Amino acid sequence: MSALLAFYAANQAEVLARLGEHIVLVAVSIAIAAAIGIPLGIFAARQPALARPLIGLANLAQTIPSLALFGFLIPLPFIGGIGTRTALVALTLYAVLPIVRTTVSGLQGVDRAVLECAAAMGMTRRQVLRQVELPLAAPAILAGIRVATVVSVGTATIASAIGAGGLGDYIFRGLSMVDPIVILAGALPAALLALAADGLLALAGRAVDRRKGSRPLRLALATLAVVAIAAGGWLYRANPAAAITVGSKNFTEQVILGELLALTIERHTSLTVQRRLNLGGLLVSDEALRSGDVDVYVEYTGTALTALFNEPIGTPATVSERVRTLYASRGITMLPSLGFNNTFAILVRADAARAEKLAAISDLARVAPQWKAGFGYEFLERPDGFKGLAAAYGLRFAEPPRVMDLNLIYRALSAGEIDVTAGDATNGLIQSLGLAILADDRDYFPPYDAVPVINTATLLRYPELDRAIRTLVGRISATDMQRMNYAVDGQRRAAKDVAREFLDTIR
Amino acid sequence: MIEFADVVASRGERPVLRGVSLSVANGEVVALVGRSGSGKTTLLRLVNRMLHADSGDVRVGDRNVAAWDETELRRQTGYVIQDVGLFPHFTVADNIAIVPRLLDWDVARVAARVDELLTLVGLNPAEYRLRWPDQLSGGQRQRVGLARALAADPPVLLMDEPFGALDPITRAELHHEFKILQARLPRTVLLVTHDLAEAFALAGRIAVLHDGRVAAIGTADELQRSEDPHVKKLVETRFG
Repeated sequence: MSALLAFYAANQAEVLARLGEHIVLVAVSIAIAAAIGIPLGIFAARQPALARPLIGLANLAQTIPSLALFGFLIPLPFIGGIGTRTALVALTLYAVLPIVRTTVSGLQGVDRAVLECAAAMGMTRRQVLRQVELPLAAPAILAGIRVATVVSVGTATIASAIGAGGLGDYIFRGLSMVDPIVILAGALPAALLALAADGLLALAGRAVDRRKGSRPLRLALATLAVVAIAAGGWLYRANPAAAITVGSKNFTEQVILGELLALTIERHTSLTVQRRLNLGGLLVSDEALRSGDVDVYVEYTGTALTALFNEPIGTPATVSERVRTLYASRGITMLPSLGFNNTFAILVRADAARAEKLAAISDLARVAPQWKAGFGYEFLERPDGFKGLAAAYGLRFAEPPRVMDLNLIYRALSAGEIDVTAGDATNGLIQSLGLAILADDRDYFPPYDAVPVINTATLLRYPELDRAIRTLVGRISATDMQRMNYAVDGQRRAAKDVAREFLDTIR
Repeated sequence: MIEFADVVASRGERPVLRGVSLSVANGEVVALVGRSGSGKTTLLRLVNRMLHADSGDVRVGDRNVAAWDETELRRQTGYVIQDVGLFPHFTVADNIAIVPRLLDWDVARVAARVDELLTLVGLNPAEYRLRWPDQLSGGQRQRVGLARALAADPPVLLMDEPFGALDPITRAELHHEFKILQARLPRTVLLVTHDLAEAFALAGRIAVLHDGRVAAIGTADELQRSEDPHVKKLVETRFG
């Protein structure tokens, strides 16, 4: 608890900004969802033949896992891309369903005798709707909005994965650092926000009830809601408009590299920098770069070649040039390597390696039939991943490899849940958890040199960027990177501090 | 005045009225009796255009109902049903005030009318004005429903089993109130009931509907002397 308070004290401004983003994401998406969902519900209640397919459609949107929905939206024009807009679209899609459904059931639940009398007294359809149906359905509609809001507070944490910010930033960052304090720093306020929104809307339910609501209650509530949303908006605005946006993928090394880039740009230029660290994986980051949502991030040559451009590996020596050419044709400039090759490391427990006398991947074939393997999603999918590896070395495991989150894989290996995995050669946990790297003795993996990739248009507009980033070229060794990764993953230090200290040493 | 001339109507595919002719004079109370499904309610609802006839002529005042503006027609016809249909989110006073407010009466006139009507149906305004419908007994709800239907002084009153769900004592009380109201300011009333005694007590003439047609029509005395088999059966089951 005190560790959490200390974290908040140290990151006060940022925490408030994230909280503001979160409130704005939820408030705006719920407002839009209500503006769409209530009329849609009224329409559906009037046209029972259409109600079913409509609700089916809304149901369908609900069944798409949130992360997948964000993924689907990224490549779409206008509503897609990364950042707040896409998050709002996704959150709205999720929130519309409960609102439509409760609007329909609220309207259908109105006593038929009441409606008959209303019509027989000469009320127009409009009058019946406004004076009878909506007030009587209001508690149900509000219940729908309440459910949608609480769900939205939770789903909005995932918006962090596409760079919309919010409290999810801490949750994702904490997950990649395996640091419960940081996870809690995001999860706790998110939970409190959900409870607060729930309570506020429960009060709103009383206020719209003609029987229990009083004028002062309604007024107080409306004021409170306006203040909360305005506060969120103000905190949100507190994010300065940035000239340069630095991105990163969603694992520790990437976050550190993102900080290194951001700090370097801040030190060497007068440009304001926005950090959009912890985006999703390769495809999200690449899409962000191409759409201009992100100006620069660090990619790995082998990854770009095989997984992004879908080209065969060919000769290791030519990989770098080939990738530079491919990027250039897309309007992206690839700068020279920062100095280390973050190749895939095939990892086993060091004691097991000793016992089985394993030094290289080719030794693995012997024990594989008795062993269990587990890999990150990406490694199982990518062309330079598991399939090619198994073919190149003739590997057959006891069972199909398990799919695991990249951030948990090292601990799973160390704990003996799996026996083999593929990690990053520069990962700080390799040493600290007592793991061993098996040599790639058949040169299966291409080089994965860490290279900054930057939007060429941005580079032309701000030539000082090139000079700034080049101060990092060739300056980060694999050992440096491993040490920095360990400082964050193993010693629980802030990526920003670790990056800053490193920059001081290479000055 | 309400007039039906050779009216044919159906609910969905099912023919309900097979040629009904009937007229109700100004200030007259006509009861519609008959078994369930005989078409009583359908006939009633043709008057305020809650339903439409397939053919034939339904007239209110000097015009066919189709020639009326629907809203105008409905504000001229008070409507009372067994389920009452009070707005649960309106107080007693607000329920009674619905039509006057739709007609844009000023506040003082509405308030005065509400109190007048509550007194008329035997409810103390000071006590009942601000009650909610669910704080009333069944009989009290029926009284409020009646007051609401009378609020803007409609010349025509359509009543569908208005006293159906009440205990005998409350029903007798309401019958009494109804007769006083009708004596003070006679309205043209069409009353649907399955209770022949009620029809005899309240209506000047009674129309017996059978199978979508008027089997007989007349005063209580005339019906009791009728030789029509349907009427005889109805009278016998009621008075044994």
